[in-house]
Amino acid sequence: MLKLPQSSTDRKHFVIVGALVLITTIVLGFFLLAILPVKAQHSVQAEPIRWLFQLHIWLIAFLFSLVSVFMLYSLFVFRKRKGDESEGEHFEGNTALEIAWTVVPLVLVVIFAFIGIQTLRDATAGGDDVRVEAVGFQWSWTFNYPNGVTAAEMVLPVNKPAEISLRATDVIHSFWVAEWGPKQDLVPGMTTRMKITPTKEGEFKIVCAELCGLSHWSMLATVRVVSEDEYIAWMDQKIAEQNLQTASR
Amino acid sequence: MQLTSLGLVRGLIGYFAGLVIGMATVVIFRLVLGMPAWDEEAVWVGGIIFAIIGFVLAIGAMSDWLKWTRGIETPMHHGPPADKPAWTRYFAVDYNHKVIGIQYGVTGLLLLIIGGSLALVFRAELADSGISFLQAGTYNTFLSMHGWVALAAILLGVGGMANYLVPLMIGAEDMAFPRLNAFAYWINVPAIITLIISMLYGWDSGWTAYPPLSLRGPVGYQMVFFAIFTIGLSSILGSLNLIVTMLMMRPKGMTLFRMPIFCWAILATSLIQLTATQLIGQAFLMLSFERTLGMPFFNPLYNAAGENIGGQPLLFQHLFWFYSHPAVYIFVLPGLGIISELLPVFARKPLFGYRWIALSSLAIALVGFLVWGHHMFTSGYGEYLRVIFMISTLLVAVPTGVKFFSWLGTLWGGRLSFQTPMLFTLGAISVFLIGGLSGPILATTATDLFLHDTYFVVGHFHATIFGGFVFPFFAAIYYWYPKMTGRMYNETLGKLHFWLMTPGFWLMSLAQMTAGTMGMRRRIADYDPALGVEPVHLLVTIAGFVIAFSILLMIYNLFTSAEIGAIAGNNPWRSRSPEWQIPSPVPEHSYARPISVVGEPYDYGLAGSQYIAMSGAGDD
Ligand code: HEM
Ligand SMILES: [Cu+2]
Ligand SMILES: [Cu+2]
Repeated sequence: MLKLPQSSTDRKHFVIVGALVLITTIVLGFFLLAILPVKAQHSVQAEPIRWLFQLHIWLIAFLFSLVSVFMLYSLFVFRKRKGDESEGEHFEGNTALEIAWTVVPLVLVVIFAFIGIQTLRDATAGGDDVRVEAVGFQWSWTFNYPNGVTAAEMVLPVNKPAEISLRATDVIHSFWVAEWGPKQDLVPGMTTRMKITPTKEGEFKIVCAELCGLSHWSMLATVRVVSEDEYIAWMDQKIAEQNLQTASR
Repeated sequence: MQLTSLGLVRGLIGYFAGLVIGMATVVIFRLVLGMPAWDEEAVWVGGIIFAIIGFVLAIGAMSDWLKWTRGIETPMHHGPPADKPAWTRYFAVDYNHKVIGIQYGVTGLLLLIIGGSLALVFRAELADSGISFLQAGTYNTFLSMHGWVALAAILLGVGGMANYLVPLMIGAEDMAFPRLNAFAYWINVPAIITLIISMLYGWDSGWTAYPPLSLRGPVGYQMVFFAIFTIGLSSILGSLNLIVTMLMMRPKGMTLFRMPIFCWAILATSLIQLTATQLIGQAFLMLSFERTLGMPFFNPLYNAAGENIGGQPLLFQHLFWFYSHPAVYIFVLPGLGIISELLPVFARKPLFGYRWIALSSLAIALVGFLVWGHHMFTSGYGEYLRVIFMISTLLVAVPTGVKFFSWLGTLWGGRLSFQTPMLFTLGAISVFLIGGLSGPILATTATDLFLHDTYFVVGHFHATIFGGFVFPFFAAIYYWYPKMTGRMYNETLGKLHFWLMTPGFWLMSLAQMTAGTMGMRRRIADYDPALGVEPVHLLVTIAGFVIAFSILLMIYNLFTSAEIGAIAGNNPWRSRSPEWQIPSPVPEHSYARPISVVGEPYDYGLAGSQYIAMSGAGDD
């Protein structure tokens, strides 16, 4: 059985705690990654988001382990034994330590700010090969293409940078496709924009992410990400349909 | 005893009389101006304003001041009312800070229960997908009410701890302005009644009340605006009182750095309350003006050319968060102060790095003013602001870290014992750790664009608020219960409360965060089963009910122990703090003789050291 040293500043304590912190960091890191599955993975812009999320998770795993292992270790090792009425060791602080745990986090903040700026740029960059306007209103969406086509669903070609301009006609809404990653509010009185390059074909839900009244929860629409050919075919058909309607009127 | 001799009853009569008079005034005014007599919105606004004033006048919270204006002197009355049972003082205007502290604390606890019950209702609805019994409109009202009722509970709980403890801890006779203190408490009561009445009409924007949505819904909004405005006024007056008390009424020898650490937390908190609250008061008044009088502050209006000649929705968000972010530190700094206050007592060791902890509270308060824009990363404000607010937000982590590490330093090498208050303190650290660590991931803008307005944020702020307020508040209740009542709570029930609530809470916040990353939006009445979050929601709901049940155990414990608990004695925790050197329960005049400070507050384990001396004690 391991014999623990009497003095709380004995090096042995710190070696044990250090080892435990290392182990829990690894276990906790994988645990957190497992229970926090990031849905954003089907756009170019989702990549930096996922990457930064995972980086954060490892930092969180480390800091959580650091604090909780030190705490649990103290609770166990420095607990009051039965009949022991003595007081704890008398030390009031340690300026060097305080400075260290102010400066090290400060350095971490600078690093994360730097990384944060880069990922923000990557997560919001893109092109406007395809342009579409999404109009949100209580409690639905319509989508307008520059050529005049209007639809109740959004259709985009895969792997083509798209710019979605966003307009609200009544209250604030927020445009979000969880699989794509970022969201962007729609604000009455202004036009906001979001750049997205979808990387996976399929049908996804567009949801409103900003509470907008009674039926906010059901303010949904569909986006279909299709191959370039399918996209052109769909567009042609829409043009035909809508011209037809104009003509027949 | 006549019912109307009870202050609260008179206040309620005043409230409803005011309501009727206010409504009638508006109707008459409109008739005189030649408008149609009835306008629901305007009539209610008049009614609410008069009702709140009516309550305060009728209960007598302003009586002394009104007499002063007529040159009548009003000597300070001490002790329970002469002609009524002693308990009635808790339901009437009383100037003793210990009474006011308990009034605040109990009202806070009551609101916590109401707010929690609202949550249980909609949690039950969310346990599975599909709308079962709460229609979307009711769901939105319950959700929005839960937010503001819980926040009001916290503000009152904080007021309770501060009012009861600060004068005791600095050995003061009372607060600097006892009448202002009572006034600041009592305006909360009509505000809370108004807030609850708003449920009759409903409102559906969540506590954030973003326009244009909040400009459109039912009249319930107006009640919320005035209720929060009034509670905010209470915050401002209360914090002013606390600051003056701490700066002017400390005893001889108590330099600022020899105050009990909780006072530092309250000093930082009060500075925020005194300077930030105006912004939300202003923002909510502007909403009310825009609704009632059509002043276009926030809703855009277009001219024929399609240009916006009206208001700006984003302006509101800036005003709102300029208060509401610092407000989160109002919620947690006092609780963090409680943690720092209790750890040395149960570790039998000095507080590690006292000055660093004290100054970190001020640093958090200061930086907290510069970060409001992190709530608006997706709002469409300028690109550049996203970067600025990302950096300032990350900075908050630094002083927060200082606190955690100093707490560890306090535990290290101690003689730790684990009575209920200590358990809740340790639980608070663990829960606040979850909350604090989930902050930076929301601060880096890119990740927030994904996480914003999801359950991840819900998990984050519940963990910070439970770790920073609810757990420490419960620790404080158990810890000072013997000082307030003279009796000990039931330790077994206390421990049971802890062991139900803490794992319950861990489970709840982690599950909320999981739901968030899986794509669950916040504030929705129903969700798509295809998301796969149903089992996670069920877990959250079960955990929520476990937490609620454990809190009922505490309430039961507090009620029964007041009658049958063991006599506690003056200082069951062997604390060095001044309030433990006097009898329990604290007598009407807390300190029979003035105290003076002769040493450091937390020198546990330093032989022969003393914190305070009761002057003249040796002369008897
Ligand atoms: C000190 C205790 C804290 C409390 C009580 C707290 C509370 C809150 C609350 C209430 C919200 C949600 C507001 C809403 O949208 O309704 C929130 C969001 C946020 N918190 Fe905290 N927080 C705390 C600490 C932190 C820390 C330390 C950080 C970062 C270092 C942080 C970063 C954020 C961010 C960035 C958001 C916005 C998330 C979003 O809406 O997308 N918080 N917090
Ligand atoms: Cu919407
Ligand atoms: Cu904030």
